[in-house]
Amino acid sequence: MINVYEQVDRNKRRSTIIMVLFVVFIAAFAWVLSRALGYGPGMVGVAFIFAGIFSFSSYWWGDKIILTISGARPADKRKDFNFFTVAENLSMAAQIPMPKLYVIDDSAPNAFATGRDPNHAVVCATTGLLAKLDRTELEGVVAHELSHVQNYDIRLMSVVTILVGMVTLLADWFLRGMRFGGRDRDKKEGNIGVILFLVGIILALLSPLIAQLIQLAVSRRREFLADASAVMLTRYPKGLARALEKISKDREVLEAANKATAHLYIINPFKGQKFTGIFSNLFNTHPPVEERIKALWEME
Amino acid sequence: MFWILIIILVGLAVYIWSLYNQFVTIKTRIRASIQEIGNQLKRQADLIPNLVSSVKGYMKHEKAIFDELTEARKAVMKVIETEDAQKLINAGSRLQSALAPIRAVFESTPQLQAAGPTAKLMDELRDTADKVMYSRRTLIDLSADYNIKVVTFPSNLVARLFGFKLEVGLKMPEGGEELEVKEEETKTPKVEL
Repeated sequence: MINVYEQVDRNKRRSTIIMVLFVVFIAAFAWVLSRALGYGPGMVGVAFIFAGIFSFSSYWWGDKIILTISGARPADKRKDFNFFTVAENLSMAAQIPMPKLYVIDDSAPNAFATGRDPNHAVVCATTGLLAKLDRTELEGVVAHELSHVQNYDIRLMSVVTILVGMVTLLADWFLRGMRFGGRDRDKKEGNIGVILFLVGIILALLSPLIAQLIQLAVSRRREFLADASAVMLTRYPKGLARALEKISKDREVLEAANKATAHLYIINPFKGQKFTGIFSNLFNTHPPVEERIKALWEME
Repeated sequence: MFWILIIILVGLAVYIWSLYNQFVTIKTRIRASIQEIGNQLKRQADLIPNLVSSVKGYMKHEKAIFDELTEARKAVMKVIETEDAQKLINAGSRLQSALAPIRAVFESTPQLQAAGPTAKLMDELRDTADKVMYSRRTLIDLSADYNIKVVTFPSNLVARLFGFKLEVGLKMPEGGEELEVKEEETKTPKVEL
């Protein structure tokens, strides 16, 4: 079993590795394309710069990008009294600065944390979560998210969301574009259609690599570790156990989540829903809830 | 030879310096958590008059409960200035147990739960109680860290050098009832609208 400090170091190291890999990947990708299409090497330089900027912003503004694509609003102390005060109390107990709090207007209960370090952290919950859980259960969930903050899981997970997730979404999008009405567009845009097709095919071929990267980031142990540290904070495992049960039994699907952000959430937002498309089996990002709940009951 | 001696001395000085800072930091944080307990108890005490006036109509024949609540509130106000953690905690737990019957009435009276102000007050009280609990825990953890440093070698030498003494631990009020969470206490009362 690794301790928290090793976990923090490992997360920081992996964040850097993924950022570097992304730049290398995009540059290599551009090189392949330029060779295939007969363009000069200038394209590689442009891609390199763009990937660099992208990588940099995933680190610096990852939290803001994620909040924007999830459609979150800042939490309000009066309206979200329990959420606000619970976060206040638990960050005091964890001895970290209080994270910024956001709320997503969605009736499916779920939550995630993002940011780059404990000084720049965000905890986000859905209105469904705030409405359906009582204060004790909410304490469990917030404590779980604060553990992600303390362990620097948030940095790694944000970088993965933006960089790896973006590639996944793009691949998905290109492939879907090919399937529906690809013919029409080919006629009109000719060359572009070919490029899109090529991009899609290459990305599809690269999918095992992408899957590997996601697996690197979201190991099952990470969730168990966050559950365990959450209990260290609240000293009340039943609270989190009850919360996980409630969230996982809830049948509503979180509309704010997509494939890039799914792994951030405390419970897989897609639940029973089957993925369609080529990447479906790669998104088993969460350990089974039953196992997590069982582990929590055993802590009593 | 001379240089080696210098390096050893500098190393020693840096070690003593950093330990001294650690002692002072923990002491400051211990004080801060005691103050936080005081602040939260003061907030609780300030909320009581409003709470009393909002539930009085539902508890006409229970003068003893209100008397005890007033007394407990006075006791809290009296010890807040002292910054004595033990006294604060004792007064706080007296206030908590004085509040218990009010909570019971609140939970069995749907009209009260529907009326916004009382529910809001109960929320606030739960929050202040949580804050006291977490500050108390921080206090206990910090004191334990501090005391371990004071008694173990070699930091005990530095502690003796600067006169840092053991922090007195906290005794929990008898029974320690508020330390155990009852299942029903953890559930937020349902509000039927």
